[in-house]
Amino acid sequence: MAPRVQTDALRGSIDLLVLKTLSLTSMHGWGITHRIEQLSGGALDVNQGSVYPALQRLEKEGLITSDWATTDNNRQARYYRLTASGRRALRVELEGWRRFAIGLEAVLRTVEP
Amino acid sequence: MSWLHGTGARLRLLFARQSSESRMDREFQFHIEMETERLAREFSLEPNEARRRALVTFGGMEKHREALRDGRGAAWLGGLSLDFKLGLRMLAKYPGLTLVGVLGMSVAVTIGALAFTAVAAVTGTALPLDEGDRIVAIDNIDLKKHDEGRETHLHDLAVWREGLRTVDDLGAYRTVDRNLITADAPPASVRVAEMTASGFRLGRVAPILGRYLNTDDEQAGAPEVVVIGYSVWRNRFGGRGDVVGSRVTLGTVSHTVVGVMPEGFAFPVNNQMWAPLRLNPSAYERGNAPPIHVFGRLAPGASLDDASRQLTMIGQRLTAAYPTSHENIRPRMLLYARSFLDSPGTAWLLHLGQVAISLLLVVIGTNVAVLVYARTASRDAEMAVRTALGASRRRIVTQLFAEALVLSAVASVVGLVVAHFVFQRLEAMVRQSADDQIPFWMRLEITPSVMVYVAGLAVLAAVIIGVIPGLKATRHRVSANLQQHFGGASMRLGRTWTALLVTQVAVSVAALPVAVSGGKGLVRSVLVDRSTPATESFVMATPLPDERSPDRRDDKARRAHYTDRVIDLARRLGTEPNGFDVVLMSAPPGAESFLRIDIDPMAGPSTPNSGVTRAEGEGVVDRVDARFFAAFDVRALSGRMFTPGDFAAGTPTLIVNRSFVHRYFGDGNALGRRVRPSPPQGTAAKRTDSRPEPWWEIVGVVEDFPSLAHGPKMYLPLRPAEVYPMTLGVRARTGAPAAVADRIREVGMAVDPTLRFTTIRPLQDALDDEVRLERLAILGIVMVTLSVVLLSAAGIYALMSFTVARRRREIGIRMALGARSGRVVVEILASAMRQIGIGIAIGVAGTGILGRTVGGDSDPLSEFLVLLLGVGVMMVIVGVIATIGPARRALRVQPTELLRSE
Repeated sequence: MAPRVQTDALRGSIDLLVLKTLSLTSMHGWGITHRIEQLSGGALDVNQGSVYPALQRLEKEGLITSDWATTDNNRQARYYRLTASGRRALRVELEGWRRFAIGLEAVLRTVEP
Repeated sequence: MSWLHGTGARLRLLFARQSSESRMDREFQFHIEMETERLAREFSLEPNEARRRALVTFGGMEKHREALRDGRGAAWLGGLSLDFKLGLRMLAKYPGLTLVGVLGMSVAVTIGALAFTAVAAVTGTALPLDEGDRIVAIDNIDLKKHDEGRETHLHDLAVWREGLRTVDDLGAYRTVDRNLITADAPPASVRVAEMTASGFRLGRVAPILGRYLNTDDEQAGAPEVVVIGYSVWRNRFGGRGDVVGSRVTLGTVSHTVVGVMPEGFAFPVNNQMWAPLRLNPSAYERGNAPPIHVFGRLAPGASLDDASRQLTMIGQRLTAAYPTSHENIRPRMLLYARSFLDSPGTAWLLHLGQVAISLLLVVIGTNVAVLVYARTASRDAEMAVRTALGASRRRIVTQLFAEALVLSAVASVVGLVVAHFVFQRLEAMVRQSADDQIPFWMRLEITPSVMVYVAGLAVLAAVIIGVIPGLKATRHRVSANLQQHFGGASMRLGRTWTALLVTQVAVSVAALPVAVSGGKGLVRSVLVDRSTPATESFVMATPLPDERSPDRRDDKARRAHYTDRVIDLARRLGTEPNGFDVVLMSAPPGAESFLRIDIDPMAGPSTPNSGVTRAEGEGVVDRVDARFFAAFDVRALSGRMFTPGDFAAGTPTLIVNRSFVHRYFGDGNALGRRVRPSPPQGTAAKRTDSRPEPWWEIVGVVEDFPSLAHGPKMYLPLRPAEVYPMTLGVRARTGAPAAVADRIREVGMAVDPTLRFTTIRPLQDALDDEVRLERLAILGIVMVTLSVVLLSAAGIYALMSFTVARRRREIGIRMALGARSGRVVVEILASAMRQIGIGIAIGVAGTGILGRTVGGDSDPLSEFLVLLLGVGVMMVIVGVIATIGPARRALRVQPTELLRSE
C-alpha cells in the first residue's frame, strides 16, 4: 500500500478533489470521501468530516447544489451535484493545478550541478 | 445566473438556521451509519466497535459542526440565541424586576404607540386609494385674513379646470346634511357629498352595483340621482341586489339610486351618499358663491411643485383680471391627505410632540436601568469569571443588551396589545362624538409602521437598560473585581449611588400626589351612581334645519321658521298618548357651553364678602324652559324655580346647582348673589370702553343634574328666539330609548321633513361616552405616574438592599470586634434615612412646582400635605424593609467565617 498523504497537504486541494469527484457523478458526503480514497488508490486519506465544510463552501459559492434523495439501501441522503459554474470552475482549477504541479515537478527534478 | 444561485444559497443558509442544523445532523448521522456498516462488513467488527472507529475516522463531530456554523456566518447568531435564552432565564429568575420593568415600559410603549398612530393618522400623505399620494386639494388663501382659507372658489374652479394641465380630474364637492327617508326605516340624518363626477374617476374605484355619477348628471334639469355607499346599502336597504332604480327621499326631494360603491370607499371625507354637484357659476357673483372644496389628481409625470407653480401663475392672472375680488387671494395646492390639517406647519409640531412623548420611555427606561444596574453590579463575579475565560467586554455587553432586549420586547408586546384595545375603544368613541366627520383615511390601528416604531423603542430601551449599565459595570479591571469578589472586599459605590438614590426618592415624592389625586378622581367617577331610572328613557334630540340650502334664504326668516317648527314639534310630542315630558334647552347635559364669570362680591344676603371665596369663576351654562326641573326631577334646594316672569326678555335671573354653591360660596347662602360673564380675555385695556354684561341674580339652588356632572352649572331662562339650535329633552315613562328616538324622528318628519336629527340619543349614552373618555384620560395619567412611582420604589429597594449587602464584610468585622448588633442596625438605618430624607426634601420642592402646573387647585392644601406625608412615610417604609433584611443577614454571619474567607 502506498504511503498515505497527510491531511495538511490535502487541506488546500480538498475543494478541487470534491469538484472532480462530483464531475463524475452526483454523490453524498460519505460517497465522496470514499470515491476520493478509491481513486487515489488509498494514497489520499481525507479526514471524513472535513468534506462537509468544503461542500458547504462550494454550495455557498454556487459551484454545487444539493437535494435529499433515497440511496440504494433505502436511506435518505443529501446528494450533491455540480452546477454549470461548478464545471467552469473545475476546468480553471484543474488548469491551475496542472501548471502548479508542472512547476513544482520542474523545481524538484533539478539536480545539483 | 451563478451569482443568483450563490446569493440564494447564501440567504437560505443564513436564514434557515434551524433547518441547517437539522440538515447537518441528518447528514452526519447518515455518514456515520454508512461508515459503521462498511467497517462491520469489511473488517467483521462488532457494531459498537465499528461505530467507534467510524466516529474516529470522521474526526471530531463538534469541530466540524462549528466549522459549518462558521461557514454559514451564523456563529454570532448561535451566541446571540444563547444570550436570548439567558435573557429569558433572567426574566424568570428576577420576577420582581421583570414585573416592574415590563409594567413601566409597557405603559410608555402604549403611550408612544398611541401618539405615533395619532400623529401618523393626521400627518399621513397618501389616501388609501390607488396612487393616493398624488391626489391634491386646491384652495384660496386670503392674505388679509392670515392663512384663513376661503372656500368660495366656484368661479376660480372653471379657470383652474381650463388652465391647470398638471392636474387631472379636477372637481369639487360640498357636504349637505339631509334627512334620508326610505320606505321601510325611520328617517335618519345623513351627510350627502354633492360631488362632481370626476371625484369617482379620481378614486379609481368601480361601483359594485350600477354606475357612479357622470357629467350628464351634473346638468341642470337632469333627473335627481344618488349613489350610495356600502354601509347605507347594507343598513338601509338590507344589501338588496335590486337596489339600483329604487327611490329615496333626501329632505324633500325624491332621488333614484343609480349605484352602490364598495366597502371602504368614503371619498371625499367620510361619505356614504353622493349626489351630483349642480352649481352654475353664472348664477352667483364672483366671491359670493356657495363654499366648495376642490380636488384633483396630479397628471402623470407632474410633481406637486410643477402643479403649484402653474397654479400660482394662474392665480397671478386672476389677480390681474379681477383686482377687486382677488387682490389678496392666493391659490394654494396641498396633498389631499394633508389638506385637513390647519396649516402645513402643524405636522412638524405634531412630530415634535411625538418625540417628546417618546422621551417618556427614556425616563422610564432610565429607571429600569437603575434596577438593572443594581442587578448587573451584583453579577460582577460572573462577569469577572467570564472575562477571565476570554470573553471580551464587547461580548459581555452584547449579552447584557440581549437580556435587556428580551425584557423590552416583552414590554413592547404587552404595550402593543394594550394599545390595540385602547385604539378600539378610542376610535369608537371619537367616531361617535365627531359624528363621522373624521376623514376616512385617518384610522387608529396598529399598522406595520407602528410595529417598526415600537421595535425601535424596544431597541432604544434595551440600549438604555442593558448597554449603559453593562458598560459601567465592566469598566473596572477584571482582576480587581475578582480579587474583590473572592477576597470579599466591598465594592465602593460612592457618590453616583447616593445621587441615584436621592433622585429616585425625590421623583417618587414629587409624582405620587399627582397620581393619588388622579386616582381619587377615577374612583369617584367609577363609584358615583350616574344611572337614570331604568324603567324610563331620557332622550336628547337636537333638530337642525337643512344647512347650506342652495337658495340662501334670509337667515332671520330661517331662524324664525326653525323656532316655530321646534316649538311645534315639542308641543306635538307633549300630546303623544304614551306620555312624553318634553322640555326645551340650549344643550343636552354634558354638552353645555363653558363660561367664565365674574362674581359680585358686594351683593348678597348679609355682610359683603361673607362666604365669597372667589371673585372669578367658571362653569357650564344651559338655558332651559320652565318645565325643565320638574320634568327631570331636579330637586330644588333653596330659593325658587323659574316663573313665567323670568322668561321676559332682559330679566337677569339665574339658578345654580349645588356644586356651584359649594365651589364659590363655600356652602353659604347663594340666594341674592350676582354673577355675570367675564369680558373676553385680552380685552382688559378695552374694558372701560365696552359695557360689561349685566349681572345675573341667583334666585334658586338645585341638586346636581345629572348626578355625574358635579361641576358648577348655571341655568338661565330659555327664550326660544335667542337659541339656535335648540335641544329637545324627552322623558318617556315607558318604552326603550330607541323606540322613543324613532317616534321623535317620525313626529319631526310630520312637522317638517327638512328638520334633521344629527344627535338623537339617550342621555345615558352621552353621559357614558363622556365618562369613558374621562376615565380613559385619568387612567392614562394614573398609570404613568404609578409606573414611575413603582419603578422608583423598586429602585430605592434595590439600591438600598444592595448597598447594605455590600457592607456585609465590614459589619462582620465590627461584630467580631465586639460591636452591639442594635447599634450597627441603627447606624445602617440612619445612613439610609439620611439619603431618603434628602430625597424627600427635594421631592417636596418639586411637588410644589408640579402641583401648581397640574392644577391641583381643586384639592385643599391640607389634603395635599397629608398626601405628601403619606408618600414620605411610604418611602421610609420601603427604605427600612430594603435595609433590614440584608442587615440582619449580615449580622447572622459568623465573624470567624468572614475572617477565614479573607
